[in-house]
Amino acid sequence: MLTIFFATDVHGSEICWKKFINAGKFYSADVIILGGDMTGKAIVPIVHQGGDRYKAVLLEQEVRLQGEDQVQDMVNKVKSRGYYPYRTNPDEIRELNEDPSRLDDLFAAQVLKSAEQWLAYADRKLEGAGIRCYVSPGNDDLPALDQLIGGSKHVQLVEGQVIQLDDHHEMVSSGWSNITPWHTYREEEEDRLQARCECMIARIHDVGNAVFNLHAPPYGTTLDEAPELTADLRPKDAGRSLVPVGSHAVRAVVEKYQPLLGLFGHIHEAKGAVRLRRTLCINPGSAYEQGRLLGALIKLAPNQVKNYVLTTG
Amino acid sequence: MAEAVAGKQGPETTLFLRKATGLVRSWSVFDAFIYATFSINLITLGLYSFSQMYYFEGGLMPTLFISAAFLIFEIVVYAGLISVMPRAGGDYVWQSRILGGGIGFVLAVTGWWFILWLWVPLYADMLRQIFFTPVLGILGAQDAALWFSQTPLGLFVAGLVTCAFVTFYIAIGMKGYSKIQKVCFWVGMAGLLVVFAFLLFDDHEAFRSGLEQQAPALFGAPAQGLYDGIVKAGEDAGAVAPLFGGGILAIFLAMPYIVFFNLWPNWGATLYGEVRGATDFKRNFWGMAAALIVTTVLGAIFFLLISKTITWDFFMKANGAWWNYRWGYTEAAPPLPIWPYPALLAVFMTPSRVLQLVVILAMSTWWFGWSGTVFLSSTRVIFAAAFDRLLPEKVAEVHPRTRTPIYALLLMVVPSLIVTALFAWNVFSFQSLTLDSTLVIAVTYLGSTVAAILLPYVKRDLYNASPIAKYKVAGVPLITVAGIIFGGFLVFLLYEWLIDPNKLYGISLNNTSSVIYMAAMYGLALVLYLGFRFYRRKEGIDIDKIYKEIPVE
Repeated sequence: MLTIFFATDVHGSEICWKKFINAGKFYSADVIILGGDMTGKAIVPIVHQGGDRYKAVLLEQEVRLQGEDQVQDMVNKVKSRGYYPYRTNPDEIRELNEDPSRLDDLFAAQVLKSAEQWLAYADRKLEGAGIRCYVSPGNDDLPALDQLIGGSKHVQLVEGQVIQLDDHHEMVSSGWSNITPWHTYREEEEDRLQARCECMIARIHDVGNAVFNLHAPPYGTTLDEAPELTADLRPKDAGRSLVPVGSHAVRAVVEKYQPLLGLFGHIHEAKGAVRLRRTLCINPGSAYEQGRLLGALIKLAPNQVKNYVLTTG
Repeated sequence: MAEAVAGKQGPETTLFLRKATGLVRSWSVFDAFIYATFSINLITLGLYSFSQMYYFEGGLMPTLFISAAFLIFEIVVYAGLISVMPRAGGDYVWQSRILGGGIGFVLAVTGWWFILWLWVPLYADMLRQIFFTPVLGILGAQDAALWFSQTPLGLFVAGLVTCAFVTFYIAIGMKGYSKIQKVCFWVGMAGLLVVFAFLLFDDHEAFRSGLEQQAPALFGAPAQGLYDGIVKAGEDAGAVAPLFGGGILAIFLAMPYIVFFNLWPNWGATLYGEVRGATDFKRNFWGMAAALIVTTVLGAIFFLLISKTITWDFFMKANGAWWNYRWGYTEAAPPLPIWPYPALLAVFMTPSRVLQLVVILAMSTWWFGWSGTVFLSSTRVIFAAAFDRLLPEKVAEVHPRTRTPIYALLLMVVPSLIVTALFAWNVFSFQSLTLDSTLVIAVTYLGSTVAAILLPYVKRDLYNASPIAKYKVAGVPLITVAGIIFGGFLVFLLYEWLIDPNKLYGISLNNTSSVIYMAAMYGLALVLYLGFRFYRRKEGIDIDKIYKEIPVE
């Protein structure tokens, strides 16, 4: 029996990443898989005000800081929410406001710096643990992240690959998604996404025993329900109006090949597990900003999902 | 790809955002207000509970306002919980995380699932009284109108219609339902304004004359002495509820009844956006608080207009006459053979059948826009419990074509129809259990309120990293202070309901049916939890680990 722990969309939350790395031991899993979207969405500047005084705004609340202890405390708070703390000064803030390309560079630098620290932590914790760790970056992750992960000793980059999980089960993975309103790094039209999936699936020996680890959930399965948005990206009807936003291509390949298990993410609100014909499809959801790691613990036997449970760790 | 968002304090407080999935702008507080307004529905829940309060000695006006003041603290508690644990799934997850999985499961499935079975006959009773009976009467189908209004089978059929409507709403999904709700809100508000206009611009003589002409014509009420007959029957029923005054003790004793109507503004709680903070706390607070305030003010205006034109004394006596008979305290049928629905009483002042029909149909949208709430939350709790493996996987199954959760719906509809039948034919005195519907949810709210009180202390990191951490009263977290006040209010309500020293609410521990019904619900929840925990353990799943935090070394 193979025990898998799957989580996704940690979005820069250091505490969630650490929990993910420790989840194998905690849940006695053989394999831990991160479904993508490792990187954070915001940089919180901690602005020097002269002397040992700083100012920061976290969650729309201005905080005035004095001394290194308070600054470090704020840095940890920012990281725990999944944002990048950045020490700076009013002049640099002005320059960044005026030059968006510098901001892009800053984001890239922060993402890679943080990922480097995360991978070092993972390599330390997984050394000798006998737990395999697979990661496929998601649509929100910079392409440069792949190379960084490729250099890790214990975290294996699995984008586009067929991985042998045990004697019976193989896994294909992709962090690419269908088009979103945000036009992020790894998204493409449905036909191209389907071709990408088909290309991987063709290399599987026993698709009936396979795991499809695809970031975008299959369309219309409730694992893909997100608030409907207006043209200016406001949730309609105060967020009550939910619409399916998943991938038709992903649904098509799941229905066509009917693997044993489908692991998805992308839509944080759509935590759930459903059957698409014989395939158990799971989206554990994400609560990264609360520092809670939502996950799925799954036990696989030959030709069957022996058991599963969704977790909040 | 990235953008700078200047803070309120100027460019130095900029937040830098990437273009990343899920980053959305703020939702509309007005939309949230609409849905919260439907949850504390003045026309369905409000008029239904006011009418049953005919025997209370506390003034309904001060009761309305003082209860609303306590419920502001409920809104602080829920807006706070949403801010700290956004999109977590409500009471079930908050309680499970803070108080433990067993407590969370038992309180959530009883408060958001099992007790909703009892709400179905109550929704159905309101449906027949504000829609079927007046509409059929106005259309000239007097026998059908009275059949719906007076017979157990009429109530049961209304229960079937209720289940059908709610199933339809679930089948079309939240997108379709929220649009229907919005239309219903505007149509219902327009209807309410017309009712207010009737009451404002006509006088008591016009009302009395309209009543004595229309009620016999539409519903077969006695042609002679109807008004005086209603007054007499109301006096015999002990209808005394005043509009104002009554003393503070009497007002507090009326509150466990009025909360049947206004305890629910938190049903309108909505999403909390990513990378946003205090603004969304305030948005959630104001969405719910505005609904509570506006509904309270509308209720007060309705009271004053009723008092001006119908007269408060007559209105309460008509209510007393109706419920005294319905509850079996007298064999003498009331002279007005239907529930004294204030909107219908108002349109009695026009002879135009078309206008009567249009206003009654417009007012019925308060029911049609609201009715979906009875099962929507239940299906979510059933799904959440199934994902936690505390129910079979099958119950979370969704039909691939219609996307309808068939098994979850069956778990709602089948028991609801059984309870509706028990209620309609008053088997085991089921009609005395009306306030159990509120009590059980209040117990669930108490669980979340205790969780909110403890939150800053038992989940310190989570709380300190939240946007409400800065809100304090004399150094104590606001959510704790609000929780203590609202929790105290809930404890008072529970004491009055369960002990009932003044014999006012009918669901005390002396009511064997109520005790058995509630014990059966909590017992069933406990058996489900322990049974599935044991079963899953045998399967190799440790349910206790589901909500346990992964230690980080």
